[in-house]
Amino acid sequence: MVHISDGILSPGIWISGYVITIVILAFTLRKMKTEDIPRLSVITAAIFVASLIHIPVGPTSAHFLLNGLAGVTLGVFAYPCIFIAIVLQSFLFQHGGITTIGINTVNTGVPALIAYAIFRLGTRKDIHKRAGIFGAIAGGVAVTISVLFLSIELVTTGEVFENIAIIIASAHIPIIIIEAIATGTIAAFFVKVKPEILEGYKGVKR
Amino acid sequence: MKRLSVIFLIIVIFLSVGVASAHRLVIVHRIGEVEIEAYFGGGYACRDANVSVYTITENVEELYTEGITDGAGKFTFSPKVGVYEYKVVVDSVHMPGHRSEEIINIKAIDSESAEGGNEMSTYSMALSGLGYIAGLAGFAIWYKGLKAQKNQGNR
Repeated sequence: MVHISDGILSPGIWISGYVITIVILAFTLRKMKTEDIPRLSVITAAIFVASLIHIPVGPTSAHFLLNGLAGVTLGVFAYPCIFIAIVLQSFLFQHGGITTIGINTVNTGVPALIAYAIFRLGTRKDIHKRAGIFGAIAGGVAVTISVLFLSIELVTTGEVFENIAIIIASAHIPIIIIEAIATGTIAAFFVKVKPEILEGYKGVKR
Repeated sequence: MKRLSVIFLIIVIFLSVGVASAHRLVIVHRIGEVEIEAYFGGGYACRDANVSVYTITENVEELYTEGITDGAGKFTFSPKVGVYEYKVVVDSVHMPGHRSEEIINIKAIDSESAEGGNEMSTYSMALSGLGYIAGLAGFAIWYKGLKAQKNQGNR
């Protein structure tokens, strides 16, 4: 539902989306190492398939984003993963338009980067035993910011979308809760069994 | 014997003509309504969506009728006499930002389009997406390996 179709946004907004996405992709892809690729592929596959799981909320439905989980596990590499997932969702499922691939990536990818920052900040503050809590905060905040970005973009497009923005925000409350719990649980689990998997946990003294 | 055969043949011909002309069965057909079905990728019905139907005559579009889809994402309208081409625009209410339009020619409707065309199933598309991801991962590993080899060669 956070995927915007073609013909909704003004060219200024969706072109800005492409510019931001290209800049972030250029920055992140340079840092990518060969050993990161399998991990990135698994999370990309999870993000791609997650959009097929719809939760009915009243007359509408919302699907999972997993951008918080991507941010916690992959760090800055979450952005290229989300980009690939959105491109595939757009072409295969028509989830979102072609012109809006850039802005849809911004809507989902930038919150993933914020989720990474939250988790990293939490673990650096010597509170690594509470990785689950910070994972949950990161997971919930990521979806919330995605919905906020989308709502702002729709509201600036026209008055017609003001009510729609409210519908979207309320429809995503269950998604925010579920993703917060899932991300927190996964983060806490990996911190115990294999902390090196979590990009946000790297370099933390245990 | 030959005479008897001719009489028998005449009787058979008369009987058969009588059967065909007295109870002629005529079949005519008329397309009374056009039903459209709107759904999202994954097969979720696009219910309560705003539908606008435009007639297209000599490349000129004119709003013909409007309405909303039912709980199953369906909407029906009666075609205008003498107009065969229509543009149907569906604008989702519950999934904002999802809008689609389709040109329908009721003369050219075939069974394939009526059944939703040859669209792949969701599972097939999901599997193909996973295949693309695996392929991209393979390509990225190959590219990184090639780059590493080049760097080693330069040293």
